[in-house]
Amino acid sequence: MEVEKFKYDNRIVRDFAFASFLWGLVGMLVGLIIALQLIFPQLNFIEYATFGRLRPIHTNAVIFAFVGNGIFMGVYYSLQRLCKARMFSDVLSQIHFWGWQLIIVLAACTLIFGITSGKEYAELEWPIDILITVIWVIFGINMFGTIFTRRERHLYVAIWFYIATWITVAMLHIVNSMELPISLWKSYSAYAGVQDALVEWWYGHNAVAFFLTTPYLGMMYYFLPKAANRPVYSYRLSIIHFWALIFIYIWAGPHHLLYTALPDWAQSLGTVFSIMLIAPSWGGMINGLLTLRGAWDRVRDDVVLKFFVVAVTAYGMATFEGPMLAIKSVNAISHYTDWTIAHVHVGALGWNGFLTFAVLFWLIPRIYRTELYSKKLANIHFWVATLGILFYVIPMYWSGWTQWSILRQFTPEGVLKYPNFLESVKAIMPMYYMRAFGGALYLTGACIGVYNLLKTAQQGTLLADEDAEAPALTKQYVAHGTKHWHRWIERRPIQMLIFAFVAVIIGGVIEFVPTFLIKSNIPTIASVKPYTPLELQGRDIYVREGCYLCHSQMIRPFRAEVARYGEYSKAGEFIYDHPFQWGSKRNGPDLAREGVGNNKKSDSWHYNHLDDPRSVSDGSIMPSYSFMLDHDLDISTTEKKIRAMQTLGVPYPAGYDKVANDDLEKQALEIQASLKKDKVNCSEKKEVIAVIAYLQRLGKDITVENQKTATLNNANQ
Amino acid sequence: MFSFIKKYAESMNGVDVYPKIAMFIFLVVFVAMLLIVWKADKKYIDELEHMPLNENDN
Repeated sequence: MEVEKFKYDNRIVRDFAFASFLWGLVGMLVGLIIALQLIFPQLNFIEYATFGRLRPIHTNAVIFAFVGNGIFMGVYYSLQRLCKARMFSDVLSQIHFWGWQLIIVLAACTLIFGITSGKEYAELEWPIDILITVIWVIFGINMFGTIFTRRERHLYVAIWFYIATWITVAMLHIVNSMELPISLWKSYSAYAGVQDALVEWWYGHNAVAFFLTTPYLGMMYYFLPKAANRPVYSYRLSIIHFWALIFIYIWAGPHHLLYTALPDWAQSLGTVFSIMLIAPSWGGMINGLLTLRGAWDRVRDDVVLKFFVVAVTAYGMATFEGPMLAIKSVNAISHYTDWTIAHVHVGALGWNGFLTFAVLFWLIPRIYRTELYSKKLANIHFWVATLGILFYVIPMYWSGWTQWSILRQFTPEGVLKYPNFLESVKAIMPMYYMRAFGGALYLTGACIGVYNLLKTAQQGTLLADEDAEAPALTKQYVAHGTKHWHRWIERRPIQMLIFAFVAVIIGGVIEFVPTFLIKSNIPTIASVKPYTPLELQGRDIYVREGCYLCHSQMIRPFRAEVARYGEYSKAGEFIYDHPFQWGSKRNGPDLAREGVGNNKKSDSWHYNHLDDPRSVSDGSIMPSYSFMLDHDLDISTTEKKIRAMQTLGVPYPAGYDKVANDDLEKQALEIQASLKKDKVNCSEKKEVIAVIAYLQRLGKDITVENQKTATLNNANQ
Repeated sequence: MFSFIKKYAESMNGVDVYPKIAMFIFLVVFVAMLLIVWKADKKYIDELEHMPLNENDN
């Protein structure tokens, strides 16, 4: 049989590796800054760097820049070797690399200017969404091209994970990014309220599943056996792991919306599948850890294995905790508190972070044909970062439980013991200090790691094109042993792609179809009316500033929440919300009924609060939005916005777009007059007026005078 | 969105049978997978699991 000679492309692996750790440092640094902003709100000193604008930069940088480049590094290295072929096209590799870096830069540049679609982990606006799609397709062509030109008949399990990742991320990204552009940098989600929430968390949950998990599992199945120099513990288990994981994961999204206005059956579905998810997740974790059977003595000396062990253990902890958090009574505590923050950081810092560094410490010396610059530094990195994780997550667990227990306490007389949300914020401040310390430790570790990697690269020489040889793949497949179905699919990438797609799409379709199509799932409430033009403009500023990152608009049906915020939220209240703004974490109180009942404040209170939150709320950690007092509201967009809303089904009267600005100005003058009464002089043209209008509107649809209609409609549900 | 299929789906009776069908498909596939994996040829599995290690790059 003729042996073919070819070369592996190590340069592209190197490029993605460097991009991964350099962006990783940026993402972690921004994380540290926002952790400090929660302690020292004065650090929100310019409008481009408030918590609300930096937080999406942190999450996007860590997920898509640090882990994203980490994925491509791992895929480009392992795929070539498992397929015994160079990457399909060097040009596509380069376009993929530079295209992805461009996306990251555009993301950072737009997010600081408040250009956001307002949906967590999918904040990027539509032109960048399209660019992501194009680059992802290029990655797919390059990956499948390599698979098609391979010299190894069977596809190793790592490749299945890569294939499932590619197809599922494509599906999630496209479905969740459906939006109606009104300008180059502004669009409205095509979905509204409950539907938007369901699509967003189906995406958000599965971004964790298919961006942060499956590609990294593929990398675990390749790099861990390499590092341990022994085969994976059970290949059979890996087959079960793969199919069960991708099938079940896709269903679990609604666990992010427990006790919300999402229909009950969808919540229950999310819970059941989340609990089932323990089985395949732990199957994978056990498979990873047991790969080290007989090699545990090496873990003591081999820093790469150390990183792997902590990564896989963190994966096990996070995937046990995740299903527990999907149980309603547990979720009641974790949702909106720091428990969720702790949970995601076990995954991000432990699983993704440590696995990335394990692979980097294994891979960089190999492609640079040298030894790791300093094992001692790598060990220091390991211990500093491990302590960093502990200092990060333990205070966050503590903080979550503390806040939950404070907010639900009643006096013997039956009123809230701590009616002011700020009481709970003040109580968890010490935990925030510790968290920032933990984050700083982790970042210090990462800096040491990056220094170590750069010095390693410096002392070696990159083997850009690595010689390899393998016999060409014969056209005739000679079967040996007993045949079975999976063996058939293991050498057919397209069938694998289709089967994986079918597996992931079933869950999505089952969840979506009824919610989209059955009217009874989203009961309409007659008293719920579209936003006025001024309120709509105010809402867009609310979205721009990322207010939803700290303030939820979803009152759950708990005694403490109803007592604090008012009547619990109904699905029908959100039908005109493009995008929904339910939020996922409360650093401040819920705002769903900010404009009514006990929560109602005067216009001047809001004005002063936005100008300087601590002047009216002692101890508040909210950034100052004094720039809203200076910036003029851009009313040139009103017409377009109204027309876009009409296209999306919001029932403004025909031709309303032409007169919308008249109504806007009228309402602005009313608010100006109300402010004047309280001796606040402000032009009616300022942004703050629109924001006040929006905040005062929140919850007004279901007030006492409207209650009769609402009850009537609820009775019909 | 999806208005073109909306009118058909709204008239569907017992749409709640969908999750049950999906669950059934999942169980069938899962059990079949267990059986296939259990009955797989050991030599063949050995060959596959050594794939990452059978490279000459180290």
